[in-house]
Amino acid sequence: MNWIEIWKWVLLLAMVSFALLAVVITIRGALDLGEMFRRLKK
Amino acid sequence: MPPVRHPHRPPAANPVLGPSSLVSTRGDGPKAAGFPGSPPPFRSLRSLKGGAPPRGTEERRQTGLIHSFTRSLFHDTPLLDTRSPARDCLHMPPGLETNFTGLDWGIVVAYLLVVTVVGFYANRYIGDMADYLVAGRTLRSGLAIATMIGSELGLVTIVYAGEKGFTGGLAALHIGVLAGFVTLLVGLSGFLVVPLRRAGVCTIPEYYEMRFGRGVRVLGGIILALAGILNMGLFLVAGAKFITFLTGIHDPNLLNWVMTILLVLVLLYTVLGGMVSVVVTDYLQFVVLAVGLLASCWLAYQQLGWEQIAGAVQTIHGDGGSDPLAGYGPGYVIWTMFVAGLVSCAVWPTAAMRACSVESEQAVRRLYIWSSIGFLIRWALPVFLGVCALAWIEGRTDLHEMFLPAGKTAYSQQAVPAYLAQLLPAGLIGLVAAGMLAAFMSTHDSYLLCWSAVLTQDVVAPLLGDRLSTPGRLLLTRVFILLIGGFLLVWGLWYPLKADLWDYMAVTGSVYFTGAFVLLLAGLYWNGASRVGAYLTLLCGGLMLLTLQDTPMRAWVDLVLARGGYQLKDEHLGLLTTILCLLAMVFGSLLFPDRRRREAEA
Repeated sequence: MNWIEIWKWVLLLAMVSFALLAVVITIRGALDLGEMFRRLKK
Repeated sequence: MPPVRHPHRPPAANPVLGPSSLVSTRGDGPKAAGFPGSPPPFRSLRSLKGGAPPRGTEERRQTGLIHSFTRSLFHDTPLLDTRSPARDCLHMPPGLETNFTGLDWGIVVAYLLVVTVVGFYANRYIGDMADYLVAGRTLRSGLAIATMIGSELGLVTIVYAGEKGFTGGLAALHIGVLAGFVTLLVGLSGFLVVPLRRAGVCTIPEYYEMRFGRGVRVLGGIILALAGILNMGLFLVAGAKFITFLTGIHDPNLLNWVMTILLVLVLLYTVLGGMVSVVVTDYLQFVVLAVGLLASCWLAYQQLGWEQIAGAVQTIHGDGGSDPLAGYGPGYVIWTMFVAGLVSCAVWPTAAMRACSVESEQAVRRLYIWSSIGFLIRWALPVFLGVCALAWIEGRTDLHEMFLPAGKTAYSQQAVPAYLAQLLPAGLIGLVAAGMLAAFMSTHDSYLLCWSAVLTQDVVAPLLGDRLSTPGRLLLTRVFILLIGGFLLVWGLWYPLKADLWDYMAVTGSVYFTGAFVLLLAGLYWNGASRVGAYLTLLCGGLMLLTLQDTPMRAWVDLVLARGGYQLKDEHLGLLTTILCLLAMVFGSLLFPDRRRREAEA
């Protein structure tokens, strides 16, 4: 496998993992945001 | 195999810094020629007098170095020149179209209004200094990851990473791979960040005091604030270049005002809301930018296809465009691993502050393990867009004169926004612009809060013997935020920089992190580390300031090395300084151990 092929797979892996991470973090982040404000209110 | 038009060796890169950055005004384009219809490029008084140094032979090259040395002693450029390179490069050239419409401006304005209102709203939740600086340490890992990525994936990051893709080809992806890999290792091992969180500090200099004493904290705080504020001094210009080419704003003065208003908005909500508003706005920015970046990459891939992208890289950069060892060299790769990896995620204070903000040590590990994807992405996606811009420009012969004159890359910071401006459809380009502007604001709010906190907590408060009350500290931090904001306006937009921007940023960043890395390493893991060793280490790191391009010291070093046939590279300089800091810590601590520790051992 040459460098061009390696970078192709690295990019694919990076984009897929980032897409999945973005979905998970968007949902969990929203929940955590609510929790943070609840704690700060106390 | 197609002929290699020019085996390109890109300039040394700085990493971090968030705004870390590779923004180079000197290598920014054929300014001697300028755009058709653009104002005449900036020239120094000496060159106007016909005093340009001769070039060619070794003797003439050394004459040029001596000329540079003497020029640095006797500044021959005016302090404020509206024809300076920094402003000249903001001009939009003819022939570049943009899909940016009124609808997109509407999206941008609506988004910025929402972010600003939320930032103001966060002010209601500020009770004490811990709420203001580290959001009361209430961040759970999901939100911490979003804000860590949101903060580190700034507009400036996209500018310099995109530039790397354009000037270095696919080989520049190695920076992202190494950054992600090192961050993952830090998360798995807890190296530096877990013991730092355990120490319960708000800032890194606070740890200096805990471990080495108050004097080290004050000196470390001064060096950190100096390096950090100078380092972010050029973010506005980099952001301005991007926005000009994305939106098609032709008037550089109008753009200056747009960026000024944005900065004022950031200042207002950071002053009022502190870390709480930073967290909320970073989260929103993460969501918008994630959608925008992924959509941009997908559309670029659909438009060009992998074969065209790979072919353009091979044509322009040759084998060095895909093989990092051939394109950049082993020294650069090691420097990248250190700076884009370890320093970016664990030593640079904006990232370390996130580690100090999370609720537990376990959350710190989770934060770094998952953020490793973010550290990979913040390089990989913009680099890919830079490579796509290269492939697109390679197919547009009418743009070669500007971006690929004589087969060499030029105006490299503007290539990605110029490409996105014609790639993205109306509506999506507004969303991306909003995300980019949010990224711009998010980086600024994080950095403003960080440097002002350092000045208050680590310089002024210790010097006053901790007589400063909590309301007094909050007020002082807010005053520092405004002062730094004022400095950024003058330095970044209205002040023409003479030095190469990349070298400037590399040196300013490493002034802090070469010493800080050694101090943290020795302080956290070596009982024998002493106060004298810490002072020596900080001072050795500060030596990097002398190596700034265009300073007498750097010109002298270059001259001496040139006589021996050597050329000084920034990555070698950075690695050597780090080794020097390590030696200073070891010998300083062994020769002058702390009295208390010595008595305890006895």
